[in-house]
Amino acid sequence: MMLWRQFAMEWRLYSRDRVAMFWTMAFPVLLLLGFGTIFRESGGPKLSLVRVQSQAPSPRDQALDQAMVDLQLKVQTLSKAEAEARWSRGETAAQLEPAGDGYRLRLNSYLMAQAGATAGLVNQAWLVAQARLSGAPEPQRIPLQVESPGHKRSTNYASFLLPGLLGLNLVSMGLFAVGMTNVTYREKGKFRRLAVTPLPKWIFLLGQVLHRLTLTVTQAAILILVGRLVFGIQNQGSVLDLLLIMTLGTGCFMAIGFALSGFADTAEGYGAISNLVFFPLMMLSGVYFTLDAAPAWLQQVVALLPLAPFLRVLRAVFNDGAGLAGHGLGLAIVCAWALCAFLLALKRFRWA
Amino acid sequence: MSGPALRIRGLRKAFPKVVAVDGVDLEVARGEVFGLLGPNGAGKTTTLEIIEGLTTADAGEIEILGLTWERNGQEIRARFGVQLQSTSLFNKITPREALDLYGSYYPKRRPTQELLELVQLVDKADAYHITLSGGQQQRLALALALVNDPELVFLDEPTTGLDPQARRSLWDVVRRMKGEGRTVVLTTHYMDEAEALCDRLAIMDHGKVIATGTPASLISDLAMPSVVELTFEGTAPDPAAFATRLGQAVEQRSDLWEIRTPDPKALLPRLLEAAEAEAVPFHQVHIRRATLEDVFLTRTGRSLRE
Repeated sequence: MMLWRQFAMEWRLYSRDRVAMFWTMAFPVLLLLGFGTIFRESGGPKLSLVRVQSQAPSPRDQALDQAMVDLQLKVQTLSKAEAEARWSRGETAAQLEPAGDGYRLRLNSYLMAQAGATAGLVNQAWLVAQARLSGAPEPQRIPLQVESPGHKRSTNYASFLLPGLLGLNLVSMGLFAVGMTNVTYREKGKFRRLAVTPLPKWIFLLGQVLHRLTLTVTQAAILILVGRLVFGIQNQGSVLDLLLIMTLGTGCFMAIGFALSGFADTAEGYGAISNLVFFPLMMLSGVYFTLDAAPAWLQQVVALLPLAPFLRVLRAVFNDGAGLAGHGLGLAIVCAWALCAFLLALKRFRWA
Repeated sequence: MSGPALRIRGLRKAFPKVVAVDGVDLEVARGEVFGLLGPNGAGKTTTLEIIEGLTTADAGEIEILGLTWERNGQEIRARFGVQLQSTSLFNKITPREALDLYGSYYPKRRPTQELLELVQLVDKADAYHITLSGGQQQRLALALALVNDPELVFLDEPTTGLDPQARRSLWDVVRRMKGEGRTVVLTTHYMDEAEALCDRLAIMDHGKVIATGTPASLISDLAMPSVVELTFEGTAPDPAAFATRLGQAVEQRSDLWEIRTPDPKALLPRLLEAAEAEAVPFHQVHIRRATLEDVFLTRTGRSLRE
């Protein structure tokens, strides 16, 4: 009864805080709608190539261009200057340019995954073009298809972004809604005021944790619903697996919030600490883009932080319909973080 | 019920840099308003926090309504009421909701409406906490200290930071608490507040109780309960020569001299004589009864406000 009152009051007061409501409920939805629409692709994804225009296109050039289109390459033909500008902005994965008697293929070392696959297709197209020019039979080739491991539908950006936002929500809930709240309660003496009443403190904390938990569920449900209605994204995995991994993540990041709140005496101090944790996690963990192009050592470091393995498992379940069984290591890393944070919270958490 | 509301023996608390409470003994009778008076840093708040169970003492015994923290923590919490120096509430909680919520923590509770009337917040019952004035927030804090109909109420600096009118209206609430038969223990560094509200006082300085008694007895116990003041226009001159001629100590304040005496009637002719002889350019003469401020000054050699 006491717990229910406490929980209900948390919700009532939260619902009056329009700013908090916006950031926790509406903002992730806006991000999904915005970025999901901007980076929407029609049809399946294609490998793309920048083609530097030859000064006087020869029959050989035309044959190659035609073969590349036949092989489903997305070719963008640019003048030399335009192509150079695009290249130096880092937007080009692979660029085909005339060189001496033939061609040269430049591959962007930062985008090797895409560039490598493109190079394979270009070379196939070149063989096809040569065969067509000489009237020889076209070489047989193995068709190539780009898709995510589990399901063909999960290939647009919105479906990549959605699990990222689900994860990011958990982090900001833990760091800000839980951690920051505890620091300000302690700093402003709210915990002390409660300590002179007969209310057991664990009821107060549990009421708070239950509120954040239901808040997270609501948040996630809204995001998933919007993803489904607007972008047709569906959970490909089992609902139980999804619930399990989300519960684990919620527990992990809440514990991190509790633990961190023990390291600051003031809201300002906590703001610094939490941002120090939040921004690297957000930028490096594959919330908005994959880190495949980053240096290997960085990928290895990030794989040990809690958010990246969490998102990997979440995407495997949600986007690719995988089971949890094959993701023991990722789950173990998240569990280890949750456990360490929980123990640290027990040690560092202070009422006054 | 018999026995004192509060009994403290040999209370001591040291922090790394300072001994905040240094052997405090107190006894508060049921139904009285008891004040801890002293300058900032005298150890009043630490003493109160130890009594309230928020800080643990290094040594000493505390009995609250005949109960001890070791054995009866939950019962003490259920039977006393506390207003802390800063009561933090949610910005967007209303007084009515706050009283309902805190009331729900207790087995015994007073009706919210009655409390709102007691602290004159009926008009503001449904306004968000953040929109209340400082005085209204403080009155709500007092009402929260009364939600469980407590026998004993602790108020820590209840009027600090309030304007004179808000202070008076808070004093009324404290008097009503006493009228309802509650025991009130409050801390203050305002001597007028202590004189106006308290049946008895303990004056604290550097963690020790330096005097205990009713405000009237503390003043009349002074060796020299009267003060003659010579005021000047502008800064008061050096009183050394005048003091020598008068044969009595003269204290120099910014724009006046103070001469303490047991018998102002006998002092006055001699004083005027000396003033004329030394051609002291004083402006006015006042004779006043000593205040708690003078009690503190006499005992410590320092002013309460320093």
